[in-house]
Amino acid sequence: MDVIPSIDVLQGNAVRLTRGDFMLVTKYGEPEEVLDRLEVEDGARLHVVDLEASRSGRPVETEIVRKLARRNLRLQVGGGVRSLRDARTWLDAGAERIVVGTAAAESPRFLERLVDAFGADRIIPAVDVRDGVVRVDGWQRAASESLASILARLDNVNEVLVTDVNKDGAMRGPSFALYRQLRAMTGVRIIASGGVSTLGDIVSLARLGNISGCVIGKALLDKKLTLADATARVRTPSAIPERVIPCLDVRDGRVVKGVSFANLRDSGDPVECAMRYEAEGADELVILDVSATDEGRRTALETVRGVADSIFIPLTVGGGVKSVGDFRALLRAGADRVAINTAAIANPQLIAECAREFGVQAVVLSVDAARASGERRAASGFEAIVRSGKHPTGIDVVEWCKRAEMLGAGEILLTSIERDGTSDGFDIELLRAVSGSVRIGVIASGGAGTLEHFRDAIEAGGARAVLAASLFHTRRLSIGEVKEFLAAEGIPVR
Amino acid sequence: MEVTLIDSPVANVANIARALRHAGAGLRVTRDAETIANAGKIVLPGVGSFIAAMTWLREQRIDEALKRAVSRGAALLGVCVGHQLLFDASHEMGLTSGLGFLRGEVQRLVGPLPVPQIGWNALTVGRSPLFEGIADRTPFYFVNSYAALEAPDEIARADYGGAFTAAVQCGTIFGVQFHPEKSSAAGLRLLRNFVQWT
Repeated sequence: MDVIPSIDVLQGNAVRLTRGDFMLVTKYGEPEEVLDRLEVEDGARLHVVDLEASRSGRPVETEIVRKLARRNLRLQVGGGVRSLRDARTWLDAGAERIVVGTAAAESPRFLERLVDAFGADRIIPAVDVRDGVVRVDGWQRAASESLASILARLDNVNEVLVTDVNKDGAMRGPSFALYRQLRAMTGVRIIASGGVSTLGDIVSLARLGNISGCVIGKALLDKKLTLADATARVRTPSAIPERVIPCLDVRDGRVVKGVSFANLRDSGDPVECAMRYEAEGADELVILDVSATDEGRRTALETVRGVADSIFIPLTVGGGVKSVGDFRALLRAGADRVAINTAAIANPQLIAECAREFGVQAVVLSVDAARASGERRAASGFEAIVRSGKHPTGIDVVEWCKRAEMLGAGEILLTSIERDGTSDGFDIELLRAVSGSVRIGVIASGGAGTLEHFRDAIEAGGARAVLAASLFHTRRLSIGEVKEFLAAEGIPVR
Repeated sequence: MEVTLIDSPVANVANIARALRHAGAGLRVTRDAETIANAGKIVLPGVGSFIAAMTWLREQRIDEALKRAVSRGAALLGVCVGHQLLFDASHEMGLTSGLGFLRGEVQRLVGPLPVPQIGWNALTVGRSPLFEGIADRTPFYFVNSYAALEAPDEIARADYGGAFTAAVQCGTIFGVQFHPEKSSAAGLRLLRNFVQWT
């Protein structure tokens, strides 16, 4: 899959329109300066849109394209191609390919003539989609044909550019559902465009299998991503399995959350549960001690010992860890990693102390997050909650996670308080906000209810692991079913 | 089969001891150099920093004991940092000499992925008694910031932003960069292969 940086040109400037509105213009400077800033490699693909041309219906910024073409770039240029002559103008100016919008959806004969005149590999039909319907004329009206029938006759080209209009420039992630739908509709390879804003998005698009390129505009211009990172990630072999993690909430030595006591095999014994989960294919186990008393916490150490003695997968333990001493006690009891939450909020240096003492790999920051409401302002829209007492801290979740990464957290266990226990799905927006801002892995927690929820947390949320408790305890889904489903969706699992 | 597990303070010895017992080993856990020098089958664990692990081996004269054991034909399995110690040297915090049983140097993982690597990673497996019954592309559990790259004695490799050596064998000396004791059934199988190897 090619990573294709994109610049829209208007009156000699690289610009962005928000949702296609010519009134909502952000200027980024001259196109050549912008390319230098983005560090576009020699020989790379570059997507250029002449916005004035798309409005007026004839090529305008040919001089800019000519300049860019001198840079040894593989240019694909779009905007206002309504005739063979327009197409030739762009190709003569140095474009390797031309992107044809409205005509692709509305004028099959014109498209055929373009392909005949210049060759299938030089024409990229572009289809804009909103809510499953193809939009034409600057998204102003719906095309007369359905998406499926338009795609059906676009089988004579190598690639089709498909933009989800709702996602464009919004940086809320590409429309994975749309691209998955296209995979079933056509064998033609798709250039995805719109909403790509994290490295995780790029990995997830590549996994879909039918995507030959992804166009990235705003995220590069706004430095949410660097082209070097994006390109490197695509070139990196990514067979690293994503993890499925059952969580045991333990109080006074018993599993307390969502255990089905009707089924006698579910005795609520943590050791039994842990062994069953390893046998089912769990990649790791999390134990959260929710005991309220000191005695309960001493019992928890016994529980950790018992579980660690019985399984041969990594064990992460959290709950009530207040000091380096607590941390050490859990490692000694057999935990591989320890999650800290409330104590780290009170004293962030605890993260650094534990990382120094036991290594970054041992330190998991557990964050309980909720949507900030009312007067409390968190730039990301999410604030950390200290669960005991459900006390909102006013701390921005994204800023907190970035700081924890700097201090030495090796991974983040991110729980949506609002979704926890609901089966409504993981909070994808929360996951994206954090996973797009840190390099360390994020474990998605809270809200798992269906197989698709697990996929979405990884694919759209950018999570590197997915966690659930009662869903597995009650056997509504098994770990094996989740992993099989993820594998079928192109997500590598163990 | 009797296995001598080196009781390193810079390793989670309890976990690997448990896994070795599960894999059928009669286990002797020791830091006595003479015992190690005379052992027939030895496991060298390790986590944390290369230099701390190597310093401890030298202080305890276990480095010499291991050389004597190996020259007598003892089988040795290094795990994680224990695996790294088998090589000539490591670039962790400057250049530090290792045991020198295997050619190659240990380098920091580079590339676009976060370091340390924490998690499962699939191996490309070559022929070795250590991987008997373990399919190609089987994932094992890794926790590492450093690894040997393209070691001459490589028997398995993995990719983490670039290829690195996941396991080695040179005669009776074996090393695995991953944690078999945390790699579920595949890890236990690998340990059993070592325990039963003759």
